[in-house]
Amino acid sequence: MALSVNARLSPAANNMLFIGAASLLAATLLMLPGQPDSNYQSATPVVVVATDCAKAKGIAKVVCLADNLKTMLNPEQLAALQLQYSKADAQKWSNLPATFPTAKRIGLKFGNLTPEQLLAAKALLKEVSGTGTDEGFDEMQQLLNADDYLALKKSNDYGSGNYYMAFLGTPSSTGMFEIQYGGHHVAFSNTYKDGILVGATPSFRGAEPFGKFEQNGRSNEPMVQEHAAFAAVLASLTPEQQQAARLDRTFRDVVLGPNKDGQFPATPSGIKCSSLSSAQKKLIIAAINTYTDDIDEKDAAAYLKKYTKELDNTYLSFTGTTDFVTRNDYVRLDGPSLWIEYVSQNGVVYQGIHPHSVWRDKTNDYGGM
Amino acid sequence: MPASVVKLSVMDGYIKGEATMPLPELEAAVNHPAGNLLTDPFFRLYFAEHIKAFTGAMAWHTTITAVKLSTALDAAVGKYHQVTVIFKLRPVNVAHLRKFTFAYDVIMHQVITHQALVFLQQDWYNGINSESAARVIGTIKLDVPSGKIYPLSVTLEKGSAWKGFASMLHLGMQHIKEGTDHLLFLIVLLLPAMLIAQNKKWGSFGGLKYSLKNLIKIVTAFTVGHSITLLLCASGWLNIPSQPVEVLIAGSILVSAVHAVRPLFAGKEVFIAAGFGLIHGMAFASVLAGLYLNVGTLALSILGFNLGIERMQLFIIFIIAPWLILLSKTNYYAFFRIPAAVLAAIAATGWIIERITGNANVITIALNDVTPYALRLIILLAIAACLLNVRINGRQSTGN
Repeated sequence: MALSVNARLSPAANNMLFIGAASLLAATLLMLPGQPDSNYQSATPVVVVATDCAKAKGIAKVVCLADNLKTMLNPEQLAALQLQYSKADAQKWSNLPATFPTAKRIGLKFGNLTPEQLLAAKALLKEVSGTGTDEGFDEMQQLLNADDYLALKKSNDYGSGNYYMAFLGTPSSTGMFEIQYGGHHVAFSNTYKDGILVGATPSFRGAEPFGKFEQNGRSNEPMVQEHAAFAAVLASLTPEQQQAARLDRTFRDVVLGPNKDGQFPATPSGIKCSSLSSAQKKLIIAAINTYTDDIDEKDAAAYLKKYTKELDNTYLSFTGTTDFVTRNDYVRLDGPSLWIEYVSQNGVVYQGIHPHSVWRDKTNDYGGM
Repeated sequence: MPASVVKLSVMDGYIKGEATMPLPELEAAVNHPAGNLLTDPFFRLYFAEHIKAFTGAMAWHTTITAVKLSTALDAAVGKYHQVTVIFKLRPVNVAHLRKFTFAYDVIMHQVITHQALVFLQQDWYNGINSESAARVIGTIKLDVPSGKIYPLSVTLEKGSAWKGFASMLHLGMQHIKEGTDHLLFLIVLLLPAMLIAQNKKWGSFGGLKYSLKNLIKIVTAFTVGHSITLLLCASGWLNIPSQPVEVLIAGSILVSAVHAVRPLFAGKEVFIAAGFGLIHGMAFASVLAGLYLNVGTLALSILGFNLGIERMQLFIIFIIAPWLILLSKTNYYAFFRIPAAVLAAIAATGWIIERITGNANVITIALNDVTPYALRLIILLAIAACLLNVRINGRQSTGN
């Protein structure tokens, strides 16, 4: 129809019309990729679970939700999400924003999803995460809000659209696969083998801004629980214990961040937890709990049981102040299998400090792969 | 915070180094106020203590030459201050210069999350003479399992004078290839070389023999000119600041462009080419001046670099001059010569402004966009020259 209209117009008008139509088309095309992103920004953390998965339990539900997400994707999106398992891909996580060339993520980009696809992705994420307030799924949700908050100042580098999810191996109740999710300040890696979670680490969390802020229609305060738990541990130490636990070096970041796999110290530093009082041990267990609670309840309990059993052979060390609010304040738990580091860094976008923290497991990072 | 970057250069009897590090990391490491960083002897002692080289157990002598402060930008942390330390490491026995243990732990001895990337920046005998040729030697960082910072074991190939010479030859060619201003000057100078000046105007084609003779005279004069100042400046006998030289080079293009439109110095092109050659040579020398070479390697460098320049220059003339000669035989040459000269004059004006103000402008930005298409322009020139000649030959079938 457009052709027949054009045919009657003068060549000049025809050209004008063509240029107009072409620029309109170009403008529309330019707008298109932004659409899911902008919808996403205002998305509230409501999760709708597909009805057929609601009845499933355990690994069956994880697989059901993963399959549900896959059925909603177009072929390119599916190809981005569903990858073959490789350790090299599993190791591709970072604390830096995914927009940085050195920190490119693999997988499906949240910013390219429709609201429905995004909800399906988050339904899966919620299923494999902890349900507590400020832990697990809620913490990751707050960290997405934190990045949107940073995007208010630097929209090129930050924002909740710059987070990625990948399946390394096909989610199934047999065989092995990893659900990898991450972006700025977040690395989540749940590895499953024959329907059992065999690794929930490396797990990285960081938070900027640190402290209370409003974003996406709610109040957020991610990672304060980790901070408070470690502050309580350090505050409980006697001067002698402090001296024994204090490291003489300075830490400006975690030591075993991305690309530092399997490099645990041969000999632990600090104070051995067996020498602590039972009240102090409880505080340490509470601190560990703020990490294990990031995964689903049953698996979190198993991890915590293991770490509690190993607690007497676990070492606590720190540097900086015991208030634990100053730049370069650092604390570490180093056990037979447990490795947790938490450090206060300078703010990058906003003033003040911002924490980086990593939880690793010496025996089953990446599910022992 | 970004890692430290350490660049090592193999000099005559010593290793020169340049270590750049973020000031906040240094401050976190030293527990000493950094307000008087540049003059406070504490820092020189600190750097000397933490920058060392050894042959076996034998320590080399470390000298801290300079400490500088500047501002840098990093994607992750934004703007920050950085400190640059220039140092010299001198072995007791010169024979050990190329095999040593580099014990560098500035910042890292305390801030163990810091690391240093070590590069080989300059090694004349191995043909490493420019930023782009720099080689990675390794990274110095905490080995977490052992809790130790292991020094870097450095072993450099012996290299050869030939390798050094060849790389300088390459550098000379590269310099002309990328030096749009030198190229443009040469081309503009050649634009009217085939024509005979009459009544303060450019007249007709002077014949093939006349053209070739003129071309050769101009190019030779330019070469003699720049060789003289290259030798004088590179060897340190003459020291001229680079900014005025750069402005004068742009000016030389402007003068040549005017001359290509209307003869200013017809018949005296040889002297002009030689005179402007002197100026261009000073700019060539600045490339070598940063290398701090000894007499032997400097002589080889000047020779290699100059031969490289010559080689590229001849190549450029070889691919352009035939078309200029062919075109100048036609009546249409003015339609090419004058617009080309005007464009060159505009480019020259843009460079003059840029080099005086220190800021890029509309013209120089446009030039950077156009430069990649130079080869296509030459092909167009060749096609136009051939087509127009075919047409003339067709018309003048009775002979001339």
